[in-house]
Formats: sequence, structure tokens, C-alpha cells
Amino acid sequence: MIHLTINGKAVQAPDGATILEAARLNHIDIPTLCYDKAVEVYGACGLCVVEAEGIPKLLRSCSAKAAEGMVIHTESERVVQSRKIAMELLMSAHDGDCVAPCQLNCPAHTDCQGYVGLIANGEYDAAIKLIKNKIPLPASIGRVCPHPCEKACRRKNVEEPINIAQLKAFAADMDLQESSYLPDIMARTGKKVAIIGGGPAGLTAAYYLNIMGHSVTVYDMMDKMGGMLRYGIPQYRLPKEVLDKEIALIEKSGVKLVNNVKLGKDFTIQSLKEENDAVIVAVGAWQSSSMRTPGEDLQGVYGGIDFLRAVIQGNAPAIGDRVVICGGGNTAMDACRTAVRLGAKEVYVVYRRTRNEMPADQLEIDEAEEEGVVYKFLTNPLRFNGENGKVKSITLQMMELGEPDASGRRSPVPVEGKTEEIEVDSVILAIGQRLVQGDVTELSLNKRGNIDADEDFFTTNLDGVFAIGDATNRGASIAIEAIGEAGRCAKAVDAYLNGQPLDTRVPYISKRDEKTIDYSDREIKSRISPKVLPPEVRNKSFDEVSLGCKLLKAAQRYDIQPERWAGEMPQAYTHDENAFIERNTAKCILCGLCVRSCREVMDIHAIGLMGRGFKTDISPAFALPLDQTKCNNCGLCVQLCPTGALTEKANLAKQVPLDETFTEQNIEIDGKKASVLVSRYNGKVLRVIPNDELSRSMQLSRDELIAKLT
Amino acid sequence: MRIVIGQGSCGIAAGAEKVRKALLNVDVRCDISITGCIGMCYLEPIVDIYDDNNTLTRLVKVSETDAQAIADYVNNGDKSAVEKLIVTEEDSQFLTKQTRIALRNCGIINPEEITAYTATGGYDALKKALGMTPEEVIDIIKVSGLAGRGGAGFPTWFKWNAARQSAGEEKYLICNADEGDPGAFMDRAVIESDPHNLIEGMLIGAYAIGAKHAVVYVRAEYPLAIKRLKNAILQATEAGIIGENIFGSNFSCDFMIKAGAGAFVCGEETALIESLEGHRGMPRLKPPFPAQSGFWRKPSNINNVETFANVAWIINNGGEAFAAMGTEGSKGTKVFAVTGKVKRSGLVEIPMGKTLRDVIFDIGGGMKTDKPFKAVQMGGPSGGCIPADLIDTVIDYKALGATGAIMGSGGMVVMDESTCMVGMAKFFLDFTAKESCGKCIHCRIGTKRMLEMLERITNGDGKEGDIELLEELCYSEYEAHIHDKKCPAGECSALIEYTINADKCRGCTLCARNCPVGAITGTVKNPHVIDTDKCIKCGKCYSVCRFDAVVKA
Repeated sequence: MIHLTINGKAVQAPDGATILEAARLNHIDIPTLCYDKAVEVYGACGLCVVEAEGIPKLLRSCSAKAAEGMVIHTESERVVQSRKIAMELLMSAHDGDCVAPCQLNCPAHTDCQGYVGLIANGEYDAAIKLIKNKIPLPASIGRVCPHPCEKACRRKNVEEPINIAQLKAFAADMDLQESSYLPDIMARTGKKVAIIGGGPAGLTAAYYLNIMGHSVTVYDMMDKMGGMLRYGIPQYRLPKEVLDKEIALIEKSGVKLVNNVKLGKDFTIQSLKEENDAVIVAVGAWQSSSMRTPGEDLQGVYGGIDFLRAVIQGNAPAIGDRVVICGGGNTAMDACRTAVRLGAKEVYVVYRRTRNEMPADQLEIDEAEEEGVVYKFLTNPLRFNGENGKVKSITLQMMELGEPDASGRRSPVPVEGKTEEIEVDSVILAIGQRLVQGDVTELSLNKRGNIDADEDFFTTNLDGVFAIGDATNRGASIAIEAIGEAGRCAKAVDAYLNGQPLDTRVPYISKRDEKTIDYSDREIKSRISPKVLPPEVRNKSFDEVSLGCKLLKAAQRYDIQPERWAGEMPQAYTHDENAFIERNTAKCILCGLCVRSCREVMDIHAIGLMGRGFKTDISPAFALPLDQTKCNNCGLCVQLCPTGALTEKANLAKQVPLDETFTEQNIEIDGKKASVLVSRYNGKVLRVIPNDELSRSMQLSRDELIAKLT
Repeated sequence: MRIVIGQGSCGIAAGAEKVRKALLNVDVRCDISITGCIGMCYLEPIVDIYDDNNTLTRLVKVSETDAQAIADYVNNGDKSAVEKLIVTEEDSQFLTKQTRIALRNCGIINPEEITAYTATGGYDALKKALGMTPEEVIDIIKVSGLAGRGGAGFPTWFKWNAARQSAGEEKYLICNADEGDPGAFMDRAVIESDPHNLIEGMLIGAYAIGAKHAVVYVRAEYPLAIKRLKNAILQATEAGIIGENIFGSNFSCDFMIKAGAGAFVCGEETALIESLEGHRGMPRLKPPFPAQSGFWRKPSNINNVETFANVAWIINNGGEAFAAMGTEGSKGTKVFAVTGKVKRSGLVEIPMGKTLRDVIFDIGGGMKTDKPFKAVQMGGPSGGCIPADLIDTVIDYKALGATGAIMGSGGMVVMDESTCMVGMAKFFLDFTAKESCGKCIHCRIGTKRMLEMLERITNGDGKEGDIELLEELCYSEYEAHIHDKKCPAGECSALIEYTINADKCRGCTLCARNCPVGAITGTVKNPHVIDTDKCIKCGKCYSVCRFDAVVKA
């Protein structure tokens, strides 16, 4: 036995052990990407360096032997600095996406790639579980979301983006039909949380906090839950039956819902705080913004959301035949299309910029036009003219586009002396909505007049009181934004309730440079609507997808900035594959584990190192495709590959990253016991990887191995 | 009388073989033979004429058309026609100021004849060594203070001793002749000019460590060296100097040559061993060191050519004689390949303890042009540049190391003020980036990223923060490139601007007529003007102006 000190701790290791082995035996984690006990020590990654007192150079712990009396530091400043630079350089030449762009662009970081893939594979149950990790109201959101995911979808560079939002609604609708998914609820914590406001933000926070074991009650002033989803979005866009079902599921999962109670009247934030351990304020923005145009107070001038709510509640105002809607966003679209549906003969949308600058969804803009709405671009209401206190006409100021403003949009400027007057029966002002400030007098507001909440922790000026959604910070936004905030807020509240610190740092992930991606080899397929197939019924728990990438794990160990070293990428994406293994050299980090295991363990030599320097590459000899090599698909290289450069194709129609679980299992080959690693996802066997000499030497195909499992 | 023609690769490249053929075609009444590299690269081809008293008349920059004149001199003693070819006293000092041990036979004896070597007492040292115990041999080397001439300067005796004491019957002695530093050619010269000296040194080393196999790993780009070494091995084998029971002793040793494919990294000893074994040339992790587990995982000792070239001399003259030269920490002599902007380029062997000034100015004659000396690059890509204010640094492993450069294997690239240090660094980074074996992150990706940064900087796109990233290379010239977008040496064309000094311009119109893009305007006898937007910085105006009126900055 050798006695040495690692990080101030006296430890023992057997004679001949390396420092890395000594550390591992004593549960001290030293990162490495190129070491594996199956193959000879190589020493390429340099991450395993440690500092030994009295030795001037850093030692590679994978090869340096532990010696009696050694004093080792595995996380000293010098060691960390060396590892950081190595990791930064490595990541600067690693061309891959840790997370799909759709997921990154979704404010709630929904795993779109995952559920779209699961739907493609017919795994609807798994898809809905994956979706409900982030969105508790997917059938509703799938219908109304302006889908930032689809804007980031790279498929648009081939033909059109994937129909992500509708696929989500499809999976959710399937789930709503029968035996709907209910989440596993953690052990009750005995903590109580009150949420004010039952809109998408409040319901989402409630759903996740309930899963975390807290007792949650949602209080809402309206007679039904749903907030703006119910009272701001017309029935034709979101049937309220769908919303009802989704809310019912939230209630069924254990959240208590209380309607017809109003903040300031029935309770105060303070009174709720006294009865609960935490309070979340998610009251939304329920006041239509003013245009500060003379005549706004005339009869027949309505606020956009007030108008929509009245229609939804069955109290549609008499808007007459000629209606003008002011604004260019989705609320304006909802208002004008609702006006058409109420029977108005002439519906105008007055917008001070042009069609190109309209913030509303393209589809909405087009469909409204198809329904007969007339756009009056480059016009702005100068005043509303009334007769007997009722609006009679609008004077419009003609505008033109000037210089781009801070947002990059060209600012509209009035054209001197050019106006137009239109006769109207009613006017709907849909230029935005804001917090009703009188409701939240207990909280500090920011300069914009919204609740001042911490961007990471969602805390307010009151201890234990959190605030999210349209009522906070920058004001009203889209529902998925509120849902994303609510999900993060649930974690913050949970940490607060448990007295745990919350790490809000955004971990490093690798992203590809969009400009360098070549789509020329992709087959063009048109965007399709989902096929309806009977769902398989399964009821297994679903953990959040965590990427099992060793490289990412090493990259996230320290705070690194690979962009400092941004430059050329060494390799282009390759699509080399045989029946089981896919190779992509752009993701390769040249740890050499595949080459070495193929040579040293298997004695097959199917792949080797080619070229020199930055352009060094791993490839079959003479750059032949993998299926022309002696590779016997043993899968050892894939098992050892620390990143996605080598992947074994899963037993799935569409290859998507899934949170697989690997278990070691024995099978019988020719009467002998052999070990294999079995990867399962949601009960289904994705792959079987030979895990000992016998199973590797048999050269069985994946299907043959799967057959041997039973 | 006899004629000896310098026929190292350098001499042959300059035309020595043509001269030899021309001499064979005229009536020369004396023996004509060859020798290896004389070391005065800048005077090649060189023809040495020895009279019967062995007095040397050296003719330099000889061409084939001089053959008859040489014949006249040899046949009739008519010196008039060759007078202009005789080396000047000043040039002669290039050699007379040197102290040659490793190069002692270079440019003197015929490298293709073993008898020429034995006539100088060759292989006496081997005989002497075989009369001693291996430990005694190692002891002499220890006393001599000989250190690895490949660059690192590790004590030779220590490595020999470690390999000797390593357990195992089968051991290997390997000579690293994979000379890869840009501008270095010491080892090539030794093998081409005195291959038996290398063989003798290696045999002594093999005897000392107990190896029965000797291997020379030499790059395939040295065909003449390989040819002469093969020839020498054959001759030595025939003479019973290589093979079983050498000189009747119990010591047996065979020889093998491995021609490397020309990868810089194979100069690193463990990569060299990988390559010897037929694998891709990539370094192995140390430990284990080659002395414990080297070629075919057997104890192996690797030394550089120049190290072995000193061994026979040390055995003959004693360790003390070698240690008498040099400084406290660096003993003996060192060979340098002096190239670049220096007046006299070639091979220089001098005792340790001399200064860089001695090599560059005293022996090298200073700068080729009248531009001031700027720096000298030593140690190849792993070395560094020693600036003018450190010109008096002593040649000593420690003293050179203290400057941030290294002794290295002996490459010395001399630069004057017209050399851009950023460009120089870029050249070396380009070299290392291309020559990286690709195994480790810092080298594979780091050199490439630094090269990209230098390319940015020399293109005028340098950013604040680049220097911090290039900290190791930081130098005021980089700041000029980044902050002022100027290249003080005027080498980085993206950063140069040509203007016309109106006071000096006579309005001769020559520049305007030569400008390929019509960027220069002006009327006769009036100062001209360069339109910098149109200018493509070709430098034509600068070179044609007879009045120094074009300013390059």
C-alpha cells in the first residue's frame, strides 16, 4: 500500500496505482476524456492533470504513478486553469449542438426535437410526458403559441420548419382522449403555496410545485381558470373545452383551484403570506393600454382585451357595421376576426407601420385578410370624433417609414398635412395591455409600472412573495414566455421552501454556427400534418432528459469561454454509417478511444488516425466508408466515445436523443454466459451493446442480441 | 598535389558535382577526390588544392568554367587565372576561429572511404573503450560533461547509465537523425561528411549500455546522408567493426537504418520509437522513459547525431580535455547552423561559453545588408528569438534558457530590422500547426488558434485582447500591429502604406510609369502623389525610385 495525500486528505492506494486510480479509489473525481481502463494509457486530453508538491510540471494523473508520501492537489488554481484552456480549445474545435435550436429558442426550453421524434416513432405517451416536463397545458399552447421553436427550426433551410406546435397539440389531444397522463407526485413536504392568478403562469407554477410535493392553491378573480387563454383568446383559436380538460387534469393532479376571489377585496398578499409558506403573484395584465388619443373616452371605443373578454363571456357589445381596430399584434388580429364573426360589414385594421413590421403571426394576418379585414397601413389615429358622446369617425394621420429605431424596425413618422377620415360605428384599441396597478399596491413596481421581480429568482420586495408573467418586469408577452418563467419560478420557490441555494447560472453548451451548415444533401419533404394513430398506453415515470455526453459534462465542470478561441472548424459533418454505427467526425475530439479499443481490445483495426495537425481525422483506412471495413459492430467504440462522434443507431424509426438507461445483463451465447449492456427507453429496448470478450467476439447483430435477451 | 571537392548536399546543390565533372574532362595531372561539407555554405562550390607539403589553397565559388584555370594552376603552378577564386583572409577566419570536435573531419576526409577515417585514428577510441568496462566508459562521459546536443541538454552519461542499469538482455541504442528544425543542418553535415565518426560513437554507446542493436533513424529527405551511412556501415561490417565479436571482444552489435517519412514530431524520442515500430508517429506518455521501455518495449537509449559525434574524441582525449572547454554548466563545443541575414552562413563549431556575438559577428561577419541586427531564432519551433540587446548572451544551456529561448539542436536563424517578428512567429506557428501529430489538444488546436490570431493581426484585423491570448509571444511589435495597424518591419503587406516624400521627389515620372494600377499621378518635374485607395502595395514604385522619395511605412 502507498500512502499519499490528495486534496488534504490522507489516502491509500495499492502499489503501482496511478494517481488517477488512487483518486478514483478514494472517490475523488478527476476529469478525463481519453482514459479508459480497457485500453492502454494515451494521455491526449490533458484534462487529468494534477499538481504534485515538489514537482514543477503538472502531472497527467492517468499515467503518473502514485508514490509514497506524495502530496497531490487535483483542483488547484493552476490545475483548473490548465483544464479550462484545454476544454476551451477542445470545444472551439468541436462542431455540434448539445441542445436542438428549437428547444433553445422556446422560452420554456421544451424538448421539441425529443417529442417530435417520439411522435414520429409512434411513442405518444412518452411524447406527452416529455412535453409535460415543461408545459402543463400543451393542447392549448399547441393551438395558440406563435411557436418561436419553428422560427429556429433548421428544417426551414431545406423547405419548411417542422410543424412543431401542431404536433404538440396532436400529442396532447391524443392524451386528452383517454387515460390522460398524470405526473408522479413527490412526497408531501407540508409546505403551502398560494398562487394569485390562474392564467398560464399561475397554473404552470402550481402544476410543478404540486409535483414537488407542496400544497398549492390557485386563487382567481374570474369564474373559471385559464386567464388570458380563456378570456383573451377567441373560441375559434382555442376551444374552451380543450382548456377545460387541461385545467381539470391540473386539478386532478392535486392543485386546489379557487375562483371568484379577488386580490384586494377578498384577500391581500399579506393575508395569503400569513397562511402560506410562499405566495406567487401571477395576476397578468388586464388593462387595455391607452393610445393617448383625443376621444378615447367616447362611447363605442373599446379596449382590445375588454372587447374579447366580453364576447367570450357572452356579452358582446353592439359594434355596428363599420369597425376599426387599432394595432398590429395578435390581439388586434383576434379582435378584428372576432368583429367579422359578430357580423360587422367593414372591418379595418389601422397600423402605423407596414405589413412587414406587423408583430402578429403571418397566418393570422393572412387569414384575417381572407375573412375580409381591410388593412390600413401607415396610418395612425389622430383623434376619435364623436357625436352625442358616441364615436362617429376617426381622423387618421398618414405616416411614412423613417430611420430604424433601437429595435431595428423603421420608425413611422407623420407625413405633414396628410390625413384621412373614416366613418365608424365602433373602435377597438388593441395596442397592448398592462397590469392593473391598483391590484398590487403591496408590491414595488418598476419604471414601466410593472411588478419589479428578480429575473432569476422571481423574488419581490416582500419575503416569500414571488411574481411572474405579464404583470412583471417588461410586461405582457406570449403565453409560452409566462409558462417558461413559471417553470423556473417553481424551482426557485422550491429552493426557497427547502432553504436550498439555487444555481441560476446558464451552463455552457456547444452550438453550431448556423452559417456553416450545409443542407445540400437533405431530401426535400413537405411539411406534414400529424397522422392520427392509436396511442400505446404506458404509465412509467419520466425524468427530465439529461444528456449523457461525457464531453458536455467535462465542459460544464468549469466556467469556460471557448468563443475566445473561435476559428476554423477542423472537420465538416460526415454521414458515414453502417447498419448499426453512425460516424460524424465534426464532433470528434480525437481522444483516440475508438481507434485504440478497436486495435487493442478487438484487434480489428477498422479505423485509424489520418492526416496531421488541426485536420487530424479518425477514419477507416483509405477513407473508405465504415461498411467497407472489417468492423463487426461490437459497439465498443460507441460505448467509449465521450461525445456524439460515434453513435449506435437506436431501434427507432427516427433517431432522437432520449434519456436512455443502461443496465448490465447476462445473455447466453452457445451455452456460455456473456455480458451485454442493454439500453432502454420507456420500457423499449433501444440497443444492446456487447460488454465482454465473449459477446464481442460473437459478432452478433443487434437484432440477434435483442432476441437473446428474452 | 591533390584536389578535393566539397561534396556535401549543399556543395552539390551549388554545383560541386558539375565542377568535378568539368575537372575530369580537362587534363589535370593530380588526384581528384571528394570530401563532405566544409561548412562555408556561402562560398560553395569549394575546391581545395593541397600541394605535396599538404599546404592548402582554397578556391571558392568555383564554377565549371573555371576547370581549365584550375588545371593550369595544378599542372603549371600558374596562379594568375585562379587568383580571383582564392578564399580571402577574412573568409578564412570563418573556419580558423572555430574549434572543431564533432566536425573535426568534416570537409577534410573522404566520407566514402573507411581508410580515410582510420588514417585519422578512427576506431581507435572504440578499441580503447572495448578495453575498459562499460562503467568506465560511462564514467569518462560523465567526466566530460557531454550533454544531449539534440536540444534538451540532458547529461549523456545519465541516460547511458539508466539504460545500462535497466533490467533485460535485449537493449537498443538509437541515433536520432530526424533533424527537423527549420534552418538546421548540423546532423546532415556530420553524416554526409564523417559517417564513421557517428558509427564509432554509437558503437561505444552500445557497448556502454549493453545494447546489441544500433538503429539510426534518419529522415528520408537526407538521401545523400543515408547513402553514405549505408556505405560506411557496409565498410565497417566488412572490416569487422560492426557485427559479432567486434575487434575480437565479446561485444557484438548490428546496425540498422530507418528512413523516417519526414514528420517533425518524430524527432521527439517516443514518437520516433512509435514510428520505428511501424506505427503513426505520435509521442508516448513518459513515464515509462525509453531507458525502461523503449523500442519494442525494451530498454533503449536515444541520442542525437552530434552527441555521438563527440564520443570518440572524448574517449581518445579523455573526459577532462572535453570538460576543459566551455562553462561550468555546459562543457565542450556546440555546432550551429548559422543562416538568415548573416553575411557568412554555414556550420560553426565553437566552445561553449562564447557569446552569440562571437558567432554572428566575429565568425558570421555580421549582417548581409547594412540594416541593423534584430534578433536570432534558436532552437527551432520549440525555441525562441533572442533580441539584439541580448547579443552578448553566453552560449550555455542555462544562460540561453534564461532568455526564454533554448540552446536547441543548433539552428540559428539571424534576422535584421527588415524581418517582422510577428511574421516570424507566424511562420513558426504555421510550421508547428502543420507538423502537430494531432494527439494533444494544446498543440493540435492551440497552435492553429494562435496562427489564426497572427494571421488576423498581420492582416490588420487584430483585436484588443489578442495579446493577452498570445501572452507567451507578447512583444511590442504585436502592439504596433494591433493598436496602430503598422508593421514596423514593413513586411506585412496589409499594414504597409506607400507615400511619396514631396521634398525628395524630382517628378521623373518613373514610378507613375511603373505603377501597374495607375495609382500614382503627377506632372513632369513636380512631386507625384500615390492614391492609397488604388494602391495594391506591390512595392514597384519603392524599388524603382532613384531618389529614395517613396516612403514605405
